[in-house]
Amino acid sequence: MGQETQAQTQTSASPALAPAPTPSSATAPDAAQPLSRGILSRSRLRSIYKAAISILLALVVTSVLFIITGANPLVAYYYMFYGAFGNTSFLIETLVRMSPILFVSLGLGIAFKCKVWNIGAEGQLYIGAFLGAETAIFLGNSPLALPASIVLAILGGMGWAAIPALMKTQLGINEVITTFLMNFVAIDLVTWFVSYPFRSTTADFPQSATIPASAMLPILIPHTRFHLGIAIALLAALPLVYFLMAKTTFGYKLRVVGENPEAAKYGGINVKKTIFLALIISGALAGLAGLFEVEGIQFSVMTSLSPGYGYTGIAVALLGGNNPIGILLSSFFLAGIYNGSVNVSIQLGQPSGIVSFIQGVLIIFVLGSEYIMRFLERKGVFKR
Amino acid sequence: MPLFNFFLVESTAKNQPIGDSMAVEDTVKEDKTQVSVSMANPNYAIYVEGITKTYSNGLVANNNVTFGVLKGEVHALLGENGAGKTTLMKILSGCLSPDTGSIFVDGKKVHIDDAMKAVKLGIGMVHQHLSLIPSFTVTENVALSIPLPGRLKLDIIREKIIAVSKNLGLEIDPDTKIEQLPVGLRQRVEIIRLLCQDVNILVLDEPTSVLTPLEVDELFRIVRGLKEKGKSVIIITHKVKEALAVSDRITIMRLGKVVRTLNASNTNERELASLVVEGFVPSTNGTKGQPGELALIVKGLNVKGNSGRLAVKGVDFLVRSGEILGIAGVAGNGQKELVEALTGLRKTESGTSIMKCCNLANRPPQFIIKKGVSYITEDKMKRGVILNLSISDNLALKCIEQEPYSKNMIVNQRKVESRAQDLIKRFDIKASDPCANVSSLSGGNIQKLMVARELSNGSILIIAEQPTAGLDVKASEAIHTKLLELRAKGVAVLLFSADLDEIVKLSDRIAVMYDGRIVGEFLSGSLDMQRLAKMMLGSTT
Repeated sequence: MGQETQAQTQTSASPALAPAPTPSSATAPDAAQPLSRGILSRSRLRSIYKAAISILLALVVTSVLFIITGANPLVAYYYMFYGAFGNTSFLIETLVRMSPILFVSLGLGIAFKCKVWNIGAEGQLYIGAFLGAETAIFLGNSPLALPASIVLAILGGMGWAAIPALMKTQLGINEVITTFLMNFVAIDLVTWFVSYPFRSTTADFPQSATIPASAMLPILIPHTRFHLGIAIALLAALPLVYFLMAKTTFGYKLRVVGENPEAAKYGGINVKKTIFLALIISGALAGLAGLFEVEGIQFSVMTSLSPGYGYTGIAVALLGGNNPIGILLSSFFLAGIYNGSVNVSIQLGQPSGIVSFIQGVLIIFVLGSEYIMRFLERKGVFKR
Repeated sequence: MPLFNFFLVESTAKNQPIGDSMAVEDTVKEDKTQVSVSMANPNYAIYVEGITKTYSNGLVANNNVTFGVLKGEVHALLGENGAGKTTLMKILSGCLSPDTGSIFVDGKKVHIDDAMKAVKLGIGMVHQHLSLIPSFTVTENVALSIPLPGRLKLDIIREKIIAVSKNLGLEIDPDTKIEQLPVGLRQRVEIIRLLCQDVNILVLDEPTSVLTPLEVDELFRIVRGLKEKGKSVIIITHKVKEALAVSDRITIMRLGKVVRTLNASNTNERELASLVVEGFVPSTNGTKGQPGELALIVKGLNVKGNSGRLAVKGVDFLVRSGEILGIAGVAGNGQKELVEALTGLRKTESGTSIMKCCNLANRPPQFIIKKGVSYITEDKMKRGVILNLSISDNLALKCIEQEPYSKNMIVNQRKVESRAQDLIKRFDIKASDPCANVSSLSGGNIQKLMVARELSNGSILIIAEQPTAGLDVKASEAIHTKLLELRAKGVAVLLFSADLDEIVKLSDRIAVMYDGRIVGEFLSGSLDMQRLAKMMLGSTT
């Protein structure tokens, strides 16, 4: 029941998952295929299968972990599903969890589309959250606090991403290393700030002062934690990113630079500028993710602000094929795994690290899904 | 036929019925017994028969090639780029497998599946682009290609290197790192590496292309030394002079076929040059355009190649609107670097390229494109198209930012697609759907797509590099007509082509490029093909 239900949810949700031009598909000649247009074209269906296979395999491998730790995987997956989507309040909590993941992964989708591997969303999230929150605290209970904090969070995330972006475009330093290492700098920097210069005078643990009430995001569904940030993610960020990627010249440039930078240069596209913009836009969205966590949920900047949303976003963006709709579905799915894992660890005494485990395995399978798919096609499981 | 006599002389001298089967491709069709006799001739270090190789894009790189290399001879393989020389040698060294044909080593039929097998048979190749690891020492690099079981025994290899280099007078310090060596010595390391593997037949692919004249002399000394030790050396080259200077026999290839094999002492530069570029009859001789005002003035352009050495050396020329200037020359004489400098893809060391009072040198491509320069590139797969994007996206590459295709950054997808549909029709691109990925098209259609894009954006200067590469006669003709149409409308065209036919047919004027310089210019009316061919091959007489 558990595992099956999980798989079913995914397949029923997946038809809207959109094309996933993974790096490896670059070499796959989809030659001579009649490409039907519309929502369910062949290539689109293929990427849905790919995502479904990756999830299925990740869950199978995780069952092995459950068996090792002495739990029945089917029971475990039942609790996981129940904890994620079992009733209205669990479902809303999953949406609450989804909000930061969605912000981060939408941004990463932009960067990854252009083949800029921003691994630094976690750090950008911390810096954005801290700058935004301190702005709100500085302005106090004024109507300006919320908009100003949003602007500063965006600038903070952008600025933190701009450092590796400049290093990449001006000096050619690989962004994977710089963005990743700057996570530690960012987290430690924020930890130091909230431990010393900006530490709350009243709290027992190192954390910033509480943000003013005017900067707290209004709750949209009473008696829940469903705050304005979630609505902004779904109704503003998502359509905006979709529009940017699908309908603008910038989106076009992202695709060209990502697929063939040499051709982009030849075609008169400023490759460095495109890469720079892609990186800082992803930083901006990560910064917003952090700010809304503070202003919607936690109300002060703590050292444990994010349980790794910046990294989860990587898995989500890859699973969603860097497509906004795909990202929406996969961020909902991973948010479910987050909350579901908590339930599993409560009910079965399983380690709560299970969520990181699933994420890690999932990334591996998503990255390998092109090869798995080709293998299955060779074996005749799927038509070519 | 003097050639025939030469072989008769040779056969009597060696008292072996070699026949002429290995020499002239066209005369191969003789009875099998005689062929088998010649294959079994132990004087041949290597003998190939009827080799055909067709690449997946339909290009026939080798067409029924038959040729042999004697033991202890230096054999030059001469021909223009794309003649199939490198393909043939890659087949011999196991990098490629032929579609049909047989290979005989020491008279025994062999199958060469990979490079290791080739080395075991005593065939080794030094590629045009050297394949050494810069941060490793000479010994370490040699050790890489000599699989020894168990522990790495660098000492043994070091001693072997010293022994080999002493034996042949190839001084090298086995402990220097490759990055500290000049190119000439790196090449020497590659040769030593092959000799340490006990290779008897060495193939050198365009060995002089990266060398200075002094280094070339040194290389030739080494090659002669190898010959004295009984090794066979095959040198691939497109330079007539070098072939004459170093080899005993010369095989000329053209368009995938062997034209002839000649004894180096029985021929001369003139004969070879005519054989290399022979065989084309200009179909229509240089139609005349109506040259108008100056479109592009290039003065004293110096451009560095990838090696860091100047590849374009003080080039001057001008193109008028309504005129086609053809640049003839064997590939690798600086044309690529010149084009890249003109289109903003490569830095210019000095000099100017002026268009409408505006210097385009060292401006980014987007600036040059906006000024109205189109560029049909030779590297269509690498640079000309984006394989994983749709046909309509590819056709929009250079106009996506212009109205009506986008406004205020917002793309008008309908306009982009209708333009694509229009171009697909006009240029006869065989595509099922403008939304299909370019990777689903054949090579010829990809070429058409790129040409369609570049010829349809109202440019005032078109730089066309091999505009009909990979196209059949009909499609080539269509593109030629289009170019002539544009010329009539006052567009300036700068045409680079390896196909002399094409250059002669289209150009108003023809400039010849050799070794980074424009060495001569002809008006299409007063064309001396002999002189043109010789100039292309660097002959000054």
